[in-house]
Order: sequence, then C-alpha cells, then structure tokens
Amino acid sequence: MTAMPPDAGLRTLSYAEAIREAMAMAMEADPTVILMGEDIGVYGGAFQVTLDLVDRFGPDRVMDTPISELGGAGVAVGAALTGLKPIFEFQFSDFAMLAMEQIVNQAAKLRYMLGGEASVPVVFRLPSGSGTGAAAQHSQSIEAWFGHVPGLKVLQPSTPEDAKGMLLAALADPDPVMIFEHKLLYKMKGHVPEGHYTTPIGKALVRRSGNALTIVAGSIMLHRALEAAERLAQQGIQAEVIDLRSIRPIDHETILASVRKTGRLMIVYEGVKAFGVGAEISAMVAESDAFDYLDAPILRLGAADAPVPYNPDLERASVPQVDSIEAAARRLARREV
Amino acid sequence: MPVEVILPKVDMDMSHGTLAVWHFAPGDLVEKGSPLFDIETDKAAMEVEAPASGSLQAVTAQPGDKIAVGTVVALIYAESEAVPNSAPMAEPSTAAPIEVILPKVDMDMSHGILAVWHVGEGETVTKGTPLFDIETDKAAMEVEAPATGILAHLSAQPGDKVPVGGIVAYIYPTGTPIGPRPNAPADPAKAPSPAAAIPASTDPAPSAQPTTGLRATPAARAAARQSGVSLADIPGTGPLGRIQCDDVTAQLAGHKAEPPTHLPADTPPHQGWSCQPGPLYVSLRKGIGKGTETPIVLLHGFTADSQSWAPLEKALGTAPALIRIDLPGHGRSPRRAITGFADLARMLVEAFDDATRAHDRVHLLGHSLGGALALAIADIRPRRVASLTLIAPAGLGPEIDAATLNGITRATRSESLAPWLRRLTATPEGISDDYARAAMKLRADPDLRAAQLDMAQVVFPDGVQPFDLRPAVARLDCPTAVIWGKSDHILPNRHALSATGDFALHLLAGAGHVPQLECPDRVARIVLRHLGAASVT
Repeated sequence: MTAMPPDAGLRTLSYAEAIREAMAMAMEADPTVILMGEDIGVYGGAFQVTLDLVDRFGPDRVMDTPISELGGAGVAVGAALTGLKPIFEFQFSDFAMLAMEQIVNQAAKLRYMLGGEASVPVVFRLPSGSGTGAAAQHSQSIEAWFGHVPGLKVLQPSTPEDAKGMLLAALADPDPVMIFEHKLLYKMKGHVPEGHYTTPIGKALVRRSGNALTIVAGSIMLHRALEAAERLAQQGIQAEVIDLRSIRPIDHETILASVRKTGRLMIVYEGVKAFGVGAEISAMVAESDAFDYLDAPILRLGAADAPVPYNPDLERASVPQVDSIEAAARRLARREV
Repeated sequence: MPVEVILPKVDMDMSHGTLAVWHFAPGDLVEKGSPLFDIETDKAAMEVEAPASGSLQAVTAQPGDKIAVGTVVALIYAESEAVPNSAPMAEPSTAAPIEVILPKVDMDMSHGILAVWHVGEGETVTKGTPLFDIETDKAAMEVEAPATGILAHLSAQPGDKVPVGGIVAYIYPTGTPIGPRPNAPADPAKAPSPAAAIPASTDPAPSAQPTTGLRATPAARAAARQSGVSLADIPGTGPLGRIQCDDVTAQLAGHKAEPPTHLPADTPPHQGWSCQPGPLYVSLRKGIGKGTETPIVLLHGFTADSQSWAPLEKALGTAPALIRIDLPGHGRSPRRAITGFADLARMLVEAFDDATRAHDRVHLLGHSLGGALALAIADIRPRRVASLTLIAPAGLGPEIDAATLNGITRATRSESLAPWLRRLTATPEGISDDYARAAMKLRADPDLRAAQLDMAQVVFPDGVQPFDLRPAVARLDCPTAVIWGKSDHILPNRHALSATGDFALHLLAGAGHVPQLECPDRVARIVLRHLGAASVT
C-alpha cells in the first residue's frame, strides 16, 4: 500500500470513512435512501463502516436486520421494488450465499421478467477477501460468481476515492449493484474529493503506464501489483497496471488497448484461480483482435485451489502477494514463460 | 455439405409434430431465418425458420405428415454446392476436393500475383476466412476460402504470377482422405505460366514447410504473415524454441543486410511489410538503397485503408521506407468509437508517436481525411515532420459531397457501392464493376461499416466539414505540397486557394478525388521531387 501515497495537501479519508461519507450524503439528499444490515445500527457495523449513522438518521433509516441474510436481502429487494433505495450490508461477503435466491433470482431478473415495468435499485455492500485470520468461511473472494449473472453490476473499489464514487454511482443506477469492499482496505487513507461525484461503472483505469507487460488487477491486488511494478521498474521492466474496478461489465477496450501495446498480459485476482475473473479476461483477449499482438502466453495469478487456510502463513501463501506477482511478472517480461 | 432441416422440438413433452404447410417449394432459394414451414402440435402451431441460405432440396415430408422430433425433412444446399441428382440423403463419402482458383478482382486483369498464403498446406481452413492475398496493378486483396476443409496441393508460392481462373490449391472436406492431386480440368484460360509451373508431385512434403508444427506466438505469426516470410526459416529464441515477434523482426533485419540476392527488382510490394503493435494497426516497410533513412508516413482517407496505397507504393519504387497507419474503424485497426475530429486527431498523434519512435523526423503524406489528420499532426508535432504532402485534403473548407459520403458508408453490396465509387474519379469509367466488387469485399465486415457510419456522423455532421484547419496551414513551417485533381467531385479544389500559407499547389488535369489511384506515376513523381527538395533544406 506504499505505492500510492496520499496526495500531499489534499483532503484524505480512509476507505471506510469515504463509504460512510457517501452514504450520509446520499441520505441527506434523498429521503428514499435507507441502510439495512446486521449490527449496522448501535454497534456501527462489523467493520465500523456505518459507525454513528444511526445517531444521525435514526433507526427508521438505519435498520438492524435479524440474523437471516435471506430475509434481510428479501426485504431490501422488496423495498427497492416499491420505490426505496436500500443499501444492504452483508456482514461478510461469504454470507451472500444465504441470500442467493434474492440476489440472483429476484433482484437480477425482475426487470426482465416484468417487461421493464419495474426495476430493483438495491445496492449490496459486501466486505470480502482474506488476510484477517478469519478462516475459510469468512475470507472468500466470490465476486466472479456474480459476474456470471446478467442483470447485476459488480464493482470492486481499490481506493477511498473510488469507494465513495462507486457507491454514489451505484445509488444512481436503476438496477442492482454489488460492491465488494476489501476488509484490509477499510483503514487505507487516500484523497477523497468533497461533494458529490460518481466513478463510472464499467470503466477500468490505467494506474501505471508501461510497455513491457500489462497487469490487470482490482481491489487489494491492485496495490500489490503496483508495489511489484515499482520493484520491477528498478530492474528496468516497466509494467502497465490496470485497475479493473468493474467486474461486470468488464471494460474490454482499456484492457485490449494495453495488450495491443505490450503484447503480454497477466491477470491478478484474489478469487480461486480456476473459473475466475482471470479466465474471463484471458478468454476475452484471446477471442479479440488483440490476439495477434500477444507475444507470450497469458498468465493468471489467483488463489490456491483450496479453502482459505486459518494458519496465517498458509493464508498469506494461498493468495497472490507482492513477491509472487513480481516473480511472475518478471518471468513474463523476460520471455521465460 | 448440405444443411439438414429437422423437425424441431417446439413444445415440452412433444415427441411428434404435424407438418402443416411448406412456405417454399423444392428447388426454391431460401434465406436463412425466413419462415420455411409451419408445424402443429397438440398445444401450439408455429413457424420454423430456415437454418441456412441456399437451395431447398430432398423434401421428404408433405403437409399433414406426422413426423418424429429430430427427423430430417429436407436439405438446404449452399448456392455454390452441387446438388446430387439422386439419393440426396447419401453422404458424399468420397467427395471430390474443391478447387481454389485465383479470382478476377480487378478490371482487365489477366494475371495476379499470389502475395502470401494465410494458411499452410495440410492446415484446416474455414469457409469465408482469408486464404491468401493477391496483388494486381491496382489492388491488393484477401481471397476467402471457398469451403471448409483441409488445404492441399498448393501449386503457387508467394510471388508467383497466376492467370485468372488458375487453380492454386484444393480443399478437401473435413473427414475425407487427401488423395493425389486431381488433374486440373481442361481450361483454355489456364495458360501454363513459367512461374506457376511447379511440378505436380504426389510427394506429401511441400517445398515450403507447413507452419503447423512450429511454436510461434500470435504476434510472431502476424508479423510473418504481414512480411511474407516463412516461420519455418526463423529460429525461435523463446521458451521451448518458440518464435517471438522479435525473432521475426531480427530475421527481417538480417535479410535487409544482404539485399540484392534476396530482393529482385520486381519484388511484389507485399514483401518486406511487418506490423507493429500499437493503438492502431501500423504496417512498415524498410527502404532499399540510398536516401532511405527518413520514412514516409501514409494516412489514407475516410472509408479507405492501407491497402489502397498499393498503386502509389508501386510507383514510388522500393527506395523509400514506408509506414502506413490504418485509421480507427478502418482496415485492421480496432473499431474504436470517436467523438469528433479533435478526438480522432488525438488518436492519430498518439499512433504517430508510437509508429515513428525509431525516427527523428518523417515525411508525412495524407489523402482526404488522412490529409486533414496529417496537417493536424504537422501542426502539433512540427519538429517531427520533415515534409508534408497533402492529396485533396479535408479541413480547408466546409463543403463536402455528403451524398457520396453517405452512399459509400451505407452500401452493403457492390451494386449500391459502385455508383458512389464512380464519383471518386474524374470520370465514371475510372471504376469498373470488378473494382467495386473488390472494394465491397474489403467492406464486408458489418462492424467496420457501423464504425465508419458512426464516424461520418461525428466527423462530417450533416454533410459538413465542421473542423477548419486553415489556421494550421498558415502556421506550417515545413516544405508542403498540395496535390488536387482538377475534377474532384468530393472536395472542391478551390479550398486550396482559400487557404494561405507557403505551400506548392499541384492541380492535376484529368484527375478526380483519388489522383494516387488515377495517375499514381504523376503523383509519385511530384512526391519524390518534393521529398528530394525537402531533404536538401
């Protein structure tokens, strides 16, 4: 996280504060915006993201829901159908599995099944990722699952600025949006503009320019990739690093333009390597006109094919880290792959 | 292979359906997607669409027949396929190979030069995909595979001159054994040409090694295809001996070191081209001989592409190094959306920087919209441009022939394209039907047409040139020549007179909007003189 120092002289907030600011701004501007989730009221949320919002907006708009994700998500979807804009927090993204029916079969599909007569403007917030020693059932990265569902938008902010901008963009979107927030990023500080702004949904961003290879990464993997790229630069290898930002829809053009430039592609993601975000991007590039620019096989760096281990050393080893990204990128750039 | 028409399952737990009515009679030509017949089940009546386009044959079910789901009720033969007289259901187990001939793509063309094969002997080809490139005096173009199968018996090598209609290879339908080379049917048009006289051998080992077993990256394969070199001759330095893009470039550089033996005077212009990865499709050719250090960057016009420079390239000879850039949405460049001329110019400056990074300065030549872009680049990068040549450039006045613009971008068949192409030249005779067909083939990709339609709407909204580059002309510091046809029907040549600046104006009698196609030799002479003068300054 050293690769992106907070901009000197500009206002900085943490990732969690930026999300809270976005929620508070939206609630002040629009009385139909409400918050729902387990322990988000007096307790302030499992990761203290909602914190004191219940004091500011009252328990009618910052609602603690019972320990039933299916029930809570169902109420949120129903509220969205009837004109409210609920932001529903899953305590851990892993718990979204309990609410699959509401997310996949209801929220994502109702607009289509009702002939466009209704929409479900719900926002799901999902703290995700490994690195907290919370073991297999509280450490997964399942964003790719939802990339497979038409009707959903799936976002992954990597900076405080984007965390705020994406939440505001999600609220402005008429359809269900899932935002996967990384638990290790909640305390990360960075510049956050004041006032209302939105981060475009479906637009990736070149965070670092280079010509030796392209690294596509999102969320915490972006920061690890940027740090690896800094080390590579000292070895004379200039990697281009793209912040994926949106998993569904994926920004094909930004990735393809970079591949046309570098001829080498590596995708880094925290989900299990097989059937993941990297598979989709890799196939997309192979099917595109950028195929003819590939000068090496496409590399994917993802999590080990195992549940996230509880042992901290094994946990660290099971997902891409700066060292492993640097090593793989160096092999790719030096034509050893 | 004919396409089978089956009775589909249109209802849950349906095992049979009743054929209600045929919308076509046997022998009729049907279009894919058009209603072919109606079926009735216990629950529903519905239309069934034709699964392919072609001739409806071997109809085995009549209205009123109750038929099991999945039964073949007819066959559809593609128009090019021969319909067998009897036993239509019999599989052609010993299918004869399909001839691949050199087509006529240009008017009064009797021979063509096979420039490069995209597929090697023994490789699988898919109908409609590029099979080989041919060059004529006027055009270079891709020829598509006439059928799907295995390519065999290549009888022409890159560089060979082949008569129109001459057989250059055979395609065996997938699954059929490859037999000895069939005897070509007696064809009076097929005069044995010395270059094509390759002994018809049954020896399976071809003279050029097939590229199937080689390890090469997609970028290396693309570079080899572009430059006409065989991958078999290139040593791979990557892992497992894989050939990478650099290996192809090194090989080309090596060839250049010993030019006369490998590059005879009449080297087809296709030889020596290589591609360079970048935001837009860029193809480069090294120059031969003296005075080749400063390359000419070529920017084609709206709806054209890099291949349209072929006649001028030939007239310019092999001395100048050339760098061609395909505009976005044109040729092999990505179909990128743009928001207007300024956006397009920004994209081109980026591609220009990328394509010319090996050179301090380059000569810049553009035609029509490419001329406006060349002007914009020269304005933004004055120190990088040694000289500027503009052929009928856009951007010097508001008028443009909107009808032609519209007609060319919208045309989906050569018949509707030809009348508009004929407005490009001084007189309609300049464009033949064959030329129009060849041009339409290069515009066959619907994505390309859609991208150009979108571009026309933002670059020339309401049939007007909203961007005025006359101030840029006034600022020009490099030697500049403007070449314009006296009979240009698209952009009026009086635009050149309304601009003020230090440039030479060449007005060509008998030329229209495309002098580089109509009189390439005259244009080349002007360009070479201009470049010579520019190098002295």
